[in-house]
Amino acid sequence: MQGSSKKTDLLQGTLDLLILKCLANEPLHGYGIAQRLLVTSREILQVQQGSLYPALHRLERKGLLKAEWKESGNGPMAKVYSLTAAGRKHLQQEMDEWRRYAGAVAMVLES
Amino acid sequence: MSFPGKRNANDDLQREVEHHLHQLAAGYERQGYSKAESLLLAKREFGGTEQFKEQTRDEWRFAWLTGLKQDIVFGLRMMRKTPMITVAAILSLALGIGANTGIAALMDMILWRSLPVPNAKQLALVHWEGRGFPRDLADAGAGSMRPGDSEGAPAVADFFSYPAYEAFQKAVADHASIAAYRNGNQVSLSYQGQPSVAILRPVSGNFFATLQVRPQLGRLLLESDDQPAAEPSVVLTSRFWSKALGADPGVLGRTITIDQTPFTIAGVLEPSFYGLYPGDHAEIYVTVRRLAPLEQQRGERDLLKDNRFWGTQLIARLSPRTTLTQLRPMMETTFRSTWSRQPADESRAPRLRLDDGARGLGSLRREFRNPLYVLGGLVGLLLVIACVNIANLLLVRAVARRKEVAMRLSLGCSRARLMRQFLTESALMAVLGGAVSILFAYATANLLGQYVADYGTIALEVGIDYRILSIAGALTVATLVLFGIFPAWQASSSSNAAFLKEGAGSIGNVRRRWNTGRALVVAQVAMSVILVTAGVIFSRNLLSIQASDPGFERRNMVLFDVRPGTSGYSQDRLVEFYRNLEERIASTPGVTAAAIAGMRPMNVGGWWEQVQVSGSTERFQASLNGVTPSYLPLYAGPMVAGRNVSWNDINSEAKVAVISEDLARRLGGAGVLGQRLSYAGGPPGSKPPQYEIVGIAPAVAATSLKQRPYAVWFPLGKGFSQATILARTAQSPNAVLPSIRQTVAGIDRNLPLVDVVTMEEQIAKTLQRERMFATLSGGFAALALTLSVVGLYGVIAYSTSRRKNEIGVRLALGAMPGQVLRMVLREGLTLATLGIVLGAPLVLFGAKYVEKELWQAKALEPAPILLTLGILLASAFLAVMLPALRAAGLKPADTLRQE
Repeated sequence: MQGSSKKTDLLQGTLDLLILKCLANEPLHGYGIAQRLLVTSREILQVQQGSLYPALHRLERKGLLKAEWKESGNGPMAKVYSLTAAGRKHLQQEMDEWRRYAGAVAMVLES
Repeated sequence: MSFPGKRNANDDLQREVEHHLHQLAAGYERQGYSKAESLLLAKREFGGTEQFKEQTRDEWRFAWLTGLKQDIVFGLRMMRKTPMITVAAILSLALGIGANTGIAALMDMILWRSLPVPNAKQLALVHWEGRGFPRDLADAGAGSMRPGDSEGAPAVADFFSYPAYEAFQKAVADHASIAAYRNGNQVSLSYQGQPSVAILRPVSGNFFATLQVRPQLGRLLLESDDQPAAEPSVVLTSRFWSKALGADPGVLGRTITIDQTPFTIAGVLEPSFYGLYPGDHAEIYVTVRRLAPLEQQRGERDLLKDNRFWGTQLIARLSPRTTLTQLRPMMETTFRSTWSRQPADESRAPRLRLDDGARGLGSLRREFRNPLYVLGGLVGLLLVIACVNIANLLLVRAVARRKEVAMRLSLGCSRARLMRQFLTESALMAVLGGAVSILFAYATANLLGQYVADYGTIALEVGIDYRILSIAGALTVATLVLFGIFPAWQASSSSNAAFLKEGAGSIGNVRRRWNTGRALVVAQVAMSVILVTAGVIFSRNLLSIQASDPGFERRNMVLFDVRPGTSGYSQDRLVEFYRNLEERIASTPGVTAAAIAGMRPMNVGGWWEQVQVSGSTERFQASLNGVTPSYLPLYAGPMVAGRNVSWNDINSEAKVAVISEDLARRLGGAGVLGQRLSYAGGPPGSKPPQYEIVGIAPAVAATSLKQRPYAVWFPLGKGFSQATILARTAQSPNAVLPSIRQTVAGIDRNLPLVDVVTMEEQIAKTLQRERMFATLSGGFAALALTLSVVGLYGVIAYSTSRRKNEIGVRLALGAMPGQVLRMVLREGLTLATLGIVLGAPLVLFGAKYVEKELWQAKALEPAPILLTLGILLASAFLAVMLPALRAAGLKPADTLRQE
């Protein structure tokens, strides 16, 4: 992790939301999720990649994700995560919540 | 222990992380890094692999269980490292928890538990209260009476006339069912040709129905058993049935002969019913109405019709809607209506009272409440001392493990996790201690149960049940809180890495931390002061009673009872039988003298009356006895004045009496000879008989070593259907006993010798309670002292080992070894003295509870206090001497080189 002033640490509790969102379109393995996060945030959000795993396993235990071992392209077997129905619903709720929150903060800041 | 899927999950996680790293590394390789560099960069980007794996595992469902398993395995490994300390800690815990559980189980049984019958809360005990026995209303009473006290509390008694019982039953039939019972008596039994003895309790026919007890076999006594036409039936306790009759289901309908009268066995009580109070020794139940005529034939008063013979006790079951306050006035009115006359002095008249009966009869409860609380308090202190010791031990160990702790903390172990680790180790110890404690609990409860029994007849049996187990469990948790939490907190709080660098030499905050250890030792000594004082006081109490002079030679004397009256001898033949028996025993080889008394001496209870001398209204409580002429010379020694009773007196039923010297002195000296003495009693309406005082005998201990009542001896009358034979032997009584048995068998083969004991055993029986206190408190004191000595030794030894450097410097700079010795001794003895000073007020506080149990009720006297101090200081000295010597013997060069 080369320190860059433009990179921001994650707000607490937002990692779960980001993971769910990454998986909204397609199942991914851990490395894929990390890459997706980097790309879509234009490399601003900085996540220590190892910290994905406690979060992934927590979400799996809560029943928001399910995982299976699959061949990834031509590489070795990888554990691929996908959203469950509950996960999808949860994501929707969290996104609405986040938008309300972010909108409110933005309104205050720009007033 | 293995958890489902755990190994798989671990492998999966490993593969998952490897895959991620592999992908990252592949990316770097594509950017042109070497393989080794790529892997390094991938790892850096991923972060601490092991740390994240650990965090991930914490998210798993059974994470805490896996952690617990690790903790337990690790804890067991730590315990195995120091096996001696572990065993000592577990044993001291087991002993402490066990003894407390045992006493708590006994308290539960005696003080708190309800009778084992349905809805025990509905039961009430019927009593009356007043100023002593109402002589104007009743001639005789049989039951128990608790005397009033000087502060105005009335006497409370539990006996009523049988006609009163019948009147009560009729008057309150809509509100309560009332049952009658009488005190149990020992009777001669014969079952299928086998003679034995048992305790018989007469009850009313509705007794079992009122209590709602169920039979285990056959049927219980019914109201129809009260009818004269009914077949005479008895009911056996389950315990008697299994012990004496081998639990034979064929006993139903068979005949059992009680005092020469045949009865049919109707049924056996359910095993859970132990009687009217825990330790109730009644074994056979019969109806009052069937027994009364037999007693009357033997010359006793007519219980059933006589309203001046108050010998029936009552227990009531209230209907659900009735309260004690509603019932009492109804019964009061009925009670008064059954009196033979109105009382001369209304203020002294008995008043009816009802007491809660859920826990059964209360005499055992009253008698043992204070002793059990005192013992419970002592044993509780002992447990606290044991816990303090273990806490201290854990603190020392925590200090020894501070490098491990610092290492784990710096590697990212959370403090909560560490504390959990230490607590698990303590809990392991507590659980092991708790498990072993069940054995000690059982032993303690049953040892105590023996002391609680009615002077050695039947021991109170305390079994292992869920109550004992739950008490032990609760105590185990309590000890864990006491000894485990603080050291765990302390150990896990050593968060500074300074420990990593620290050697034995630096001082830093370690000494400050050790103030905790010192405070614990001071507390330990303070609590030991109480236990040692109690041990000394109770032991001294027993010794001083035992050493007191009873007035006769207690060695080489044997006592036993015979019951000719219930073995077929009529009243007229009794005196002749006794005379023959006495002569034959006296001439048995090895016997130097023999005598017969109607009441067994040194048996605490017996025959007590208020006696008075004609011309005076002053009454004296005295212990009475009927004796043969050889009794007083054997038991009390030569007459002080006047003459002894003679066979002539006995044969002619002369109304003469010999009184004890102390009573004579109270009545005005030798001038009392020839005066007339009387006591209330005798048949209704008759004037009390007058006895001429013909002699004065030395004052001896007639009933026990503790009380020295006035004594009056009458010639052995023909009313004594049983009697006690005393034989003075030339050598050990047990050597002579076989020939004595032969002699008795030579007179009557079917006459059993009952309660054969030596006089020393008889005296020991009356001192059971004192012995219980002395043995237990002495044992507690020894344990407490040992634990405190170990604690003190540990703290001083530890502190000198920490100060090796300082001591080495002192010695190098010219301090003499003697000065070092004194310095360490002073340190240790200061702690001990502080403990003693802090413990002293607690002793003063406890003294008033202890005094109730003492013979000459003074707990705090100079001699035992000095002895206690001596014991404590000597023990403290021993504890610190070894570390002090070791410190004084240090070689400065060695300690300085260690740095």
